[in-house]
Amino acid sequence: MTAQVEKVPTIEFVSPMPGFPEHRSFVLVRLDDDGILYALTSVSDPGLRFLVVPPPPFFPDYAPEISQETLDTLGVSAAEQVLMLLVVTAGESASASTANLLAPILIHHESRQAVQVVLNGSGLPVRAELMAA
Amino acid sequence: MLVLTRRPGESVMVGDDVVITVLEVRGEVIRLGIRAPRSIQVHREEVYRELQAANRAAASPSDDAVRSLARMLKPPPAQS
Repeated sequence: MTAQVEKVPTIEFVSPMPGFPEHRSFVLVRLDDDGILYALTSVSDPGLRFLVVPPPPFFPDYAPEISQETLDTLGVSAAEQVLMLLVVTAGESASASTANLLAPILIHHESRQAVQVVLNGSGLPVRAELMAA
Repeated sequence: MLVLTRRPGESVMVGDDVVITVLEVRGEVIRLGIRAPRSIQVHREEVYRELQAANRAAASPSDDAVRSLARMLKPPPAQS
């Protein structure tokens, strides 16, 4: 998971994110100077956006195994070609924000194809405190 | 709802390119094999519903929420 976020300006979901069947094309916009907070904004409806973060600054031990089937979905041969981002739900206060560890977004950083994958059987939470420390 | 009876090894077609095969029936547990194009994600229903709800809750946070989160992330959290 060494891909650079900066290399992925526009992405195309191979299959849409659950709940948003009509949105496939998104742009990734960096929201801070440090490159840890991004907005994934729908191309067809800029009013729709998701906050996403790379896992390492928040969950250093997070390194889920990605199935070959998922890699095939993205046309990827090795997990290293994939950028992983977590969907963040902003809470009432910033400290109440959570990240979805069960279903990360994977982006093939060459083709820019993406998919939100469910890590079945991982037991990972849909809502993990972002600022658990 | 369409109701069909199938035996292990038999399949059902959904549209032109989704094949659902009954692999095994053991008591109350039925194992299904599903072959679908990569543009169609297959989820257990309860997982799908949970993910759908989580995505909807995450969608389009207010500018205030984004600002306060960005503020909190600066400086970045410890890399323990």
